[in-house]
Amino acid sequence: MVKGLYTAYTGMLNEQNRMDTLTNNLANSATIGFKKEGSTSQSFSSLLVEKIKDTSESPNVGRIIGTSTPGVKIGENYTDYSQGSFQSTGNTYDMALSGDGFYTVDFTNKSGVTSEKYTRDGSFIVNDAGYLVTKDGDFVMGDDGSGNLTKIKLDPTKEASIDQTGAISQNDAKVAQLKITDFEDYNYLEHYGENYYQTVDGATEKTANAKVFSGYLEASNVQVVSEMVDMISITRAYESNQKVLKAYDDTLSIAVNQLGKV
Amino acid sequence: MVRSLWSAASGMIAQQNNVDTIANNLANVNTVGYKTEVAEFKSLLYQNIQSKTTSANGADKPVSAQVGLGVRNSSVTSIFDQGTFQDSSSDTAFAIDGSGFFAVKGEDGSTYYTRNGNFVLAQGTNGLTLSTTDGLPVLDSTGKTITFPSTISSGSLTVSGDGTFNYPDAKGNAASLGITIGTFQFTNPSGLEKTDSSLYKVTAASGTAMNETTSTNLKKSTINQGYLEGSNVQVADEMVNLIVAQRAYEMNSKAIQASDEMMQQANQLRG
Repeated sequence: MVKGLYTAYTGMLNEQNRMDTLTNNLANSATIGFKKEGSTSQSFSSLLVEKIKDTSESPNVGRIIGTSTPGVKIGENYTDYSQGSFQSTGNTYDMALSGDGFYTVDFTNKSGVTSEKYTRDGSFIVNDAGYLVTKDGDFVMGDDGSGNLTKIKLDPTKEASIDQTGAISQNDAKVAQLKITDFEDYNYLEHYGENYYQTVDGATEKTANAKVFSGYLEASNVQVVSEMVDMISITRAYESNQKVLKAYDDTLSIAVNQLGKV
Repeated sequence: MVRSLWSAASGMIAQQNNVDTIANNLANVNTVGYKTEVAEFKSLLYQNIQSKTTSANGADKPVSAQVGLGVRNSSVTSIFDQGTFQDSSSDTAFAIDGSGFFAVKGEDGSTYYTRNGNFVLAQGTNGLTLSTTDGLPVLDSTGKTITFPSTISSGSLTVSGDGTFNYPDAKGNAASLGITIGTFQFTNPSGLEKTDSSLYKVTAASGTAMNETTSTNLKKSTINQGYLEGSNVQVADEMVNLIVAQRAYEMNSKAIQASDEMMQQANQLRG
């Protein structure tokens, strides 16, 4: 009896978490380079169910009659890294990636610790010192030719052009090369926020096959229709779990309030 | 639950800002020298809701289950693309072809920059001063106000492509007056602070103004007399952006409604 009460409760909790993830997708439906996230559900480990005190069984001992799963939890929150659509902006320093890969950004947090972050958001500008930075002022990293990360410094007085390999040229001479990083397994990427991803232990870099398109931005890959359908299914699943919980409560109420009456 | 409510609220606020920006662009579609703006967004921080996660086949995943907490407005950026040139019958209307800005002296004495070249000649004690329609004097390439003797006929003033003023001499040939309209460039024009009347102010983010006459490596702008630079607002783009913003706003409000209903149902558990 009370077991089912908690099963329905885990169901409601799980739908809440799915709703949180979905709402974040909707809130970021216009965020450049955002990748949609989803949540899978997983049942709790199954428990053996044992019959006890059944006089019909000849030796008066318990017997295992099967398994039951006492609820549901989050299996994983995954990110769908599929390509977002391009929107044209016409700015040289707006760059969209087509294919697998991430821009490498040098991010310094409030306590002054610098680390590499990865992003698909290519809306960059050149700051007053001539460095290529994100709109938040974090340095966009380039490759110095021997595989080392380096800040990209441009001459702001000259026009720049960026080809599909990420090479930045000014006056027909190559001045910098964008560092596009890709990973063997995206499971080793963690969300940081600010459109950034960071690696966890075990991530292995590999050569990116992404092409850079200057003058475009990659829109988020959130599919509004599927999010709305998911929202319907989540709210209804939540409601069903609530009804089950309520039914248990009503049954308990009868047991407590009516059975005792004479 | 409360997470999804606030995530959706952050989405609504961000889209509200987006609509504000679009509305301002549409309002300024006929403003001379106006540069269109775009609102951009970034996701907020992520929170761990469950540290142990497993993939579909039961293997442990290296990252925990994270949920994002919404969105914020990361920047409103001006796009300094060239606007269209519009013919003007005024002899003191100038359009800049290139990335330069005119400099004007504000009422507070500091220098402001603008792409709006709709100037007039104002009568003063020293003669005729080239100024904006608001009466702010326009600066020349040395940073001084541009003043002509009151005896000149404004209709005979001509300006060459590099911004130099010419006036017919005794023989009727155009002769340089030795005054050049100042044009200035910025390393990061997006960093300029927007003030009223289409004026921009230098900030640390924009970098200092680079004078086109003294900085030799700059690609010089061309001044076109008798033209004004229209705004670079693309109305069709703005309308599409407006649709996207409005629908995104609506979807976020639906998410709030759904979260609200879920809370209501939780509330009804204890009848």
